[in-house]
Amino acid sequence: MIFNSWEFAFLFILITGIFYLIVPQLRKWLLLTGSIIFIGFNHWGYLALAVSTAIITFSSGIWIDKQNSDKTRQRIFTISLIAHLTILVFFKYFGFLEANLSLFIKTIGGNWNSSITKIFLPLGISFYIFQSISYLIEVYWEEQEAEKNLGDFLLYMLFFMKFLSGPIERPGDFLPQVKEKKAFDYDKVSYGLRLIAIGLFKKLIISNQLATPLNDVFASVQDYSGAQLCVATLFYPIQLYADFSGYTDIAIGGAAILGYRLSPNFNRPFIAQSITDFWRRWHMSLSFWVKDYIYEPLAFRKRNWGTWGIVYALLITFILLGLWHGDSWNFIIYGAIQGGVIIYEMSRSKWCTKWNKYLSGKWFKTYNIIRTYLIFAVSLLFFKIEKFADVIYVINHIFDGIGSTYKEISLGVRDHNIIVISLATSLMFLYEYTDSKWDIWGKFEQKSILIRWSVYYLIIFIIFSCGDFGASDFIYLQF
Amino acid sequence: MELSQVLEEVNSIFCKVLNKPTIILTESSTADDVDEWDSLNNIRLIAEVEQHFKVKFKLREIMKLKNVGELCTNIQKKTA
Repeated sequence: MIFNSWEFAFLFILITGIFYLIVPQLRKWLLLTGSIIFIGFNHWGYLALAVSTAIITFSSGIWIDKQNSDKTRQRIFTISLIAHLTILVFFKYFGFLEANLSLFIKTIGGNWNSSITKIFLPLGISFYIFQSISYLIEVYWEEQEAEKNLGDFLLYMLFFMKFLSGPIERPGDFLPQVKEKKAFDYDKVSYGLRLIAIGLFKKLIISNQLATPLNDVFASVQDYSGAQLCVATLFYPIQLYADFSGYTDIAIGGAAILGYRLSPNFNRPFIAQSITDFWRRWHMSLSFWVKDYIYEPLAFRKRNWGTWGIVYALLITFILLGLWHGDSWNFIIYGAIQGGVIIYEMSRSKWCTKWNKYLSGKWFKTYNIIRTYLIFAVSLLFFKIEKFADVIYVINHIFDGIGSTYKEISLGVRDHNIIVISLATSLMFLYEYTDSKWDIWGKFEQKSILIRWSVYYLIIFIIFSCGDFGASDFIYLQF
Repeated sequence: MELSQVLEEVNSIFCKVLNKPTIILTESSTADDVDEWDSLNNIRLIAEVEQHFKVKFKLREIMKLKNVGELCTNIQKKTA
């Protein structure tokens, strides 16, 4: 059951309707029941694993919190951390580890054939295991008191608006909300509905329409010319952004209707002037997670190494961030590229400040924005394409066939769709720009009811008339 | 050591590490108030502070710091 499905729309409307009809004390139980139905509808195995993991996290938290001795706390924390990582590694990386071990044994002359092709990947596992680890670390660091109410904790772990692809919520942000009484708030509901509409606009009009041509190109790169590969490489970041930020808008909007605040995941990433800045704006709930729980502890331990300590911590952090996405060497390379570029940028920061003084700030800023976008677009080839050889093929042929015809570089997309995608993408960026500068929705709220509802109907009409409603999963569901 | 003296010395460490002589810290200053104070430079600052005051911090102590004032109080306690 995904957000852009009729089943989800039915479940969400049903839950929201009942939510505001029943007494406040029962509301969180309704959300927990709805979350259980939502996860179980996909597969009972996903539900069993998610609930078991949540119970292990809950019990570990209480156990850590009870201890007076620092050593015992550390021992219990380490055991529970290993338990959570084992669950993640078993379901997500076991096949990858076994295949690489088998390859290594063959390389040194041994004989062992990998027997496991793939263990089924439970939905949302990377997100809820990271959420569990975040909770355990916060309890261990005494930043968070262990939650004593299992029902409240299960809702923190399983809440259906963030279960599949985040945002990865910190316990300090979410758990207090579970204990609040939720009253109907017109402003929050209308804010949530608007975000859902924006999310559907991004997903159905931009991402879904770009999905077919881009998937076709990246599935058989040898069948396409250099110019076509170049166009696909340049447009993939936009599709990925529209898809994932669209998902996040729907998640945050849906949660807001039910009175919950979820963490933001994006802050206009394509205006970033460096890859360092980019990762403060892209998939923020994950990048801040790795910063707080991987980078800072690693860099702190190696602080006496000077710059090398930071280089070491950055590389490990970004390789793990890449690996978080999936069990392949391409994801490791994707992460290593991000880390490598950030290390390079760190070493050139004084140089950049100097050039910024000499060159006109505006031009240097534009150059940096374009450079950052291009680096990210090329690194995404490792994220999108499964075979390493195919990525190398794209990089080697990307500048072939300069002077191709419009028909060729349009990747078979009809003119009408190209106009729709271009207008929708421009509108998305324009909306984000104006929203960051002025409180446009605040001003909009002051307009007459006739104008407001005309705009709402116009948005609904545009989504239904221009959207691609073909069944298409959100890209980040695979993680 | 007086808190104001600790703050003054911390201020000069920030100017040196962040290569910006114009930084003026107050007890309520946070990373949001100093442009160059990001997660990359934070580790350099901590290492330099430890070396200068001849103190050692635990990771948990660093993670709990909310502003420069808390850092100075921590240094003051450790050097007392």
